Amino acid sequence: MREIVTIQAGNYANFVGSHFWNFQDELLGLADSTESEQIFKSHGLNMDVLYRSGETQQGILTYTPRLVSMGLQGSLGSMSSRGTLYKEIKEAQVGSLTWTGPVTTQTSQPLQKNLFLQSLDWEENTNVDRSGAYDNEQNEAHAEVQDKDIVECLENEIQYWTDFSKVHYHPQSLYELCGLWTDIKDFNNYGIGREAFSGGLHPEQVNERLRFFLEECDHPQGIQFIVDDSGGFSGVAGEVLEIIADDYPNIPVLLYSIRSPDSYLDPSNRKLTIARRLHNAVSFAKQSALCKLIVPVGLPSLSTSKMSKYLYLEDRKPYHTSAVYASALHSISLPFRMEPHGPSAQYSSTSGAVTMNDLIQILAGQGRQNMVAVLDASMPAPALTSTGFQQPLLETLQPLTPETADDVEDMQALESIIIHGAFASGLKRASVSEVTEALQAAYTNAARRPKFSHLSVAQCPLPIPLPYPSIFGKLVGERGELFNTQVSDSSSSRGSLEVHSVPMAARLRSSIAILPFLEDRLQNLRKLGIARGALGTEILGSWGLGRDDVEDIGETLSDMVTKLNPISETSSDSD
Amino acid sequence: MSLKVLNPNAEVLNKSHALHMNINAAKGLQDVLKSNLGPKGTIKMLVGGAGDIKLTKDGNTLLKEMQIQSPTAIMIARTAVAQDETSGDGTTSTVIFIGELMKLSERYIDEGMHPRVLVDGFEIAKRATLQFLEKFKTPVVMGAEPDKEILKMVARTALRTKLYESLADQLTDVVVNAVLCIRKPEEPIDLFMVEIMHMRHKFDVDTRLVEGLVLDHGSRHPDMKRRAENCYILTCNVSLEYEKSEVNAGFFYSSAEQREAMVAAERRSVDERVQKIIDLKNKVCADNDSNFAVINQKGIDPPSLDLLARAGIIALRRAKRRNMERLVLACGGEAVNSVDDLTPECLGWAGLVNEHVLGEEKYTFVENVKNPHSCTILIKGPNDHTIAQIKDAVRDGLRAVKNTIEDEAVVLGAGAFEVAARQYLVNEVKKTVKGRAQLGVEAFADALLVVPKILAENSGLDTQDVIIELTGEHDKGNVVGLNLRTGEPIDPQMEGIFDNYSVKRQLINSGPVIASQLLLVDEVIRAGRNMRKPS
Repeated sequence: MREIVTIQAGNYANFVGSHFWNFQDELLGLADSTESEQIFKSHGLNMDVLYRSGETQQGILTYTPRLVSMGLQGSLGSMSSRGTLYKEIKEAQVGSLTWTGPVTTQTSQPLQKNLFLQSLDWEENTNVDRSGAYDNEQNEAHAEVQDKDIVECLENEIQYWTDFSKVHYHPQSLYELCGLWTDIKDFNNYGIGREAFSGGLHPEQVNERLRFFLEECDHPQGIQFIVDDSGGFSGVAGEVLEIIADDYPNIPVLLYSIRSPDSYLDPSNRKLTIARRLHNAVSFAKQSALCKLIVPVGLPSLSTSKMSKYLYLEDRKPYHTSAVYASALHSISLPFRMEPHGPSAQYSSTSGAVTMNDLIQILAGQGRQNMVAVLDASMPAPALTSTGFQQPLLETLQPLTPETADDVEDMQALESIIIHGAFASGLKRASVSEVTEALQAAYTNAARRPKFSHLSVAQCPLPIPLPYPSIFGKLVGERGELFNTQVSDSSSSRGSLEVHSVPMAARLRSSIAILPFLEDRLQNLRKLGIARGALGTEILGSWGLGRDDVEDIGETLSDMVTKLNPISETSSDSD
Repeated sequence: MSLKVLNPNAEVLNKSHALHMNINAAKGLQDVLKSNLGPKGTIKMLVGGAGDIKLTKDGNTLLKEMQIQSPTAIMIARTAVAQDETSGDGTTSTVIFIGELMKLSERYIDEGMHPRVLVDGFEIAKRATLQFLEKFKTPVVMGAEPDKEILKMVARTALRTKLYESLADQLTDVVVNAVLCIRKPEEPIDLFMVEIMHMRHKFDVDTRLVEGLVLDHGSRHPDMKRRAENCYILTCNVSLEYEKSEVNAGFFYSSAEQREAMVAAERRSVDERVQKIIDLKNKVCADNDSNFAVINQKGIDPPSLDLLARAGIIALRRAKRRNMERLVLACGGEAVNSVDDLTPECLGWAGLVNEHVLGEEKYTFVENVKNPHSCTILIKGPNDHTIAQIKDAVRDGLRAVKNTIEDEAVVLGAGAFEVAARQYLVNEVKKTVKGRAQLGVEAFADALLVVPKILAENSGLDTQDVIIELTGEHDKGNVVGLNLRTGEPIDPQMEGIFDNYSVKRQLINSGPVIASQLLLVDEVIRAGRNMRKPS
């Protein structure tokens, strides 16, 4: 078994992570449940890759994500940073055992748990004594009403990422960055994040937590790192990546550099605009230098993308947008968890297992050695028909990476695609070989083919947990099947009560489609940071970057551009 | 909550408004922290929105828990935290001192005095106080064998402000012995060589000094010994796991056989490294009943663990980077980065290697070492609060001992220095100053008294009485401090109450600088406004 440790840094990263872990929790729950579809019971995925088994001091067994999540102080809402499982013996009501003097107490306003979290608590407490002797019918009716309220409450009241999390976390998992002393608004750039993190004990404490999870791994395959790139946490992540590079040089890092639609809103003044552009360039260059594969994720608007045909998304709700990104990340992570099997296995629900390192080698280790990948997803993925896909799969894939070029001719493109839970005709789950054939057919008919494509297939679709937002449109059925006419006309959007699972397709590709993204960063850095008399020199200086550092960053970016586009104008146009 | 004072609306329009905002912020911060000061201060319990409880008496910790947003308060807080970083103590005192300087200045400024004049007085007073400190300090001779008694007194003074008396006294020996253990002649003391490890287990009084190292992980193989005596220690940074990253990824192989062959070859090279360690073990343990432990900074995978276990070797993987250095200092030998040239000289030695399991947490004790230059303070307590508080206190205690050794001096505590310096300023320095800067000197002198005043206040004593009595004694030529139980003057020397010289010096240096900046700040703000205008 090859373990993965996940790191989440920053608020939006934690929103995405919260959905991600909800999927995992849902999979675990469905595998245990007697009522669930067969496909969830034998999904062929090894959950131990992402989860660890542990034991509390009281001897209670636990199963929690291998996760280090970092957030600002106060970003955990009503969840305790110690998690819920490892409770310590309550200290005698007041005070301290180490101080006999007086105690003063400052109590913050307790945060009210929302309906969803209350119901989780309720379930936990009644689980023990509810042994079936309950009046089931009544109870179910009651539950039904409640679920509706919960979904509605989540739609309207989400404030913290913990508000919709149903996962138990390990006490080492949730790290709050305290002692920042800045307004959250101002915690918005690489420099300030780096400074806030590197002072004091933060690096050591985060490293301790990371070590806790890594030391127990027999054979770690890699670190899945999700960073909220829009603010100070990009600088925090830069420091953490440096720690990883120093202490775990052989463990590959797959970095999702993610941003919310909010972060594209126009800044209020010119100085902030300059700072933002420099931040984008610096943050990207620094992060990419310290990981093996970087995947920029986060469109300015999802609601106007191809996905809007089947999904109703509100861009201003991080709860909505993060759910889509988390779904794609979940899909990408499936091949890491598939059990590899020999040729003797006749029938299996998965195929195309790769380790994180394999994936990185596929995309960045051969050919142009380009380490920036584009993430695409199709949600819900179309069903197979006798001739191929219901709709052309390759065209339904929506890039989730910003600033990509559409429709480019790239003879050297490399890609890895995962399709899971796809239907064959007649609402049967398509078998692994059916999907493989259909995709091959799709490529044969496509105008442009990549140089190399790796396919992973799983039969298990994306499970939709209760706290998933109501983002499905009227053309999506209960199991994520797609209709041409509306399935219902009752409400505008359908959520977890109406849609229980969806088939997904997701793809990572190394392609020149990423060039606009790279060139934009390079040009901004040259114009605002390197050129003589550039407007941003002072800002970069305040982030602790001197002229040499900035030139190095420019070098990194221009190397990346040159790899993909050797004939590009790489010489600086400053004079 | 009083923290609200620190978040006023930032838009500042006129000079006096700006000044008063600064003064209020400084006073607000002082109000929050002052009850913490000294051995009779209060401990603060902070209950978060999710019901999380934090308990602290440490100014530094408290500041970091606060979400300070006023720029003035941030400036003060940064100074205070910097004080802690450079000298290890005095966070609370810094905040209080700056607050008092601002408070006293306000009075003069309200009477129409220009802040510039006060600031000039501060500068004169600061220099005079620093000179006075040089005369006032008690030199301590640090030869090859430092005077343990004086170190203990300093450590005790620091610890008693954080922990109840008997626990503080118990830890006094621990921190003094820890620093003496890692001290090397002619070299600066590196406190990182004291590992601070905690176990949620038993009680605060079970906290102890381990001569050797405690690691927060154990072996990962069921057949390895949990306890071994007379143990050779190999400290290394060598990968003992099969890593595919060195060859290219699997799917490029043309056949399954080829893949298998590559995997086998790679595995062989790992096994060879393991075998070299086993060979060394067999060599040194051949004709005695010694044991052998490998502590590796890199990973060790299950097949390697199997081989090692079969050879009777205890193996720990992914040790902290810093423990590589500590292990060598504690056990001897050297940390090796390759197994190619292993010799018996690379090995360290420990009388006992012992694993302790608490739930899912494992600890490995490497102790009974011969000539340790690194050690571990093992903090125990029934819960996280207790551990955190002891940890804060231990850090302070270690710094206090280190400072004393490096300063080669201490300063009489219990407020004695502050009162003496104040009397010196008022009685001698003030006369030599011309004009209104005298008032600045006076304000500075009175601000020094804030420490004994708050110590008295926190002990429930009458501040006025105490100050009158103390200054009276000092004028008679008796250097006395404050007895917090009785309110009577005491001789700090007799009671063994000593503070660090470098902490005091830093405090006197940085406090007035920040206060001066804050008093003169209106000009800075105006400059900022001008710069923004064109846009």
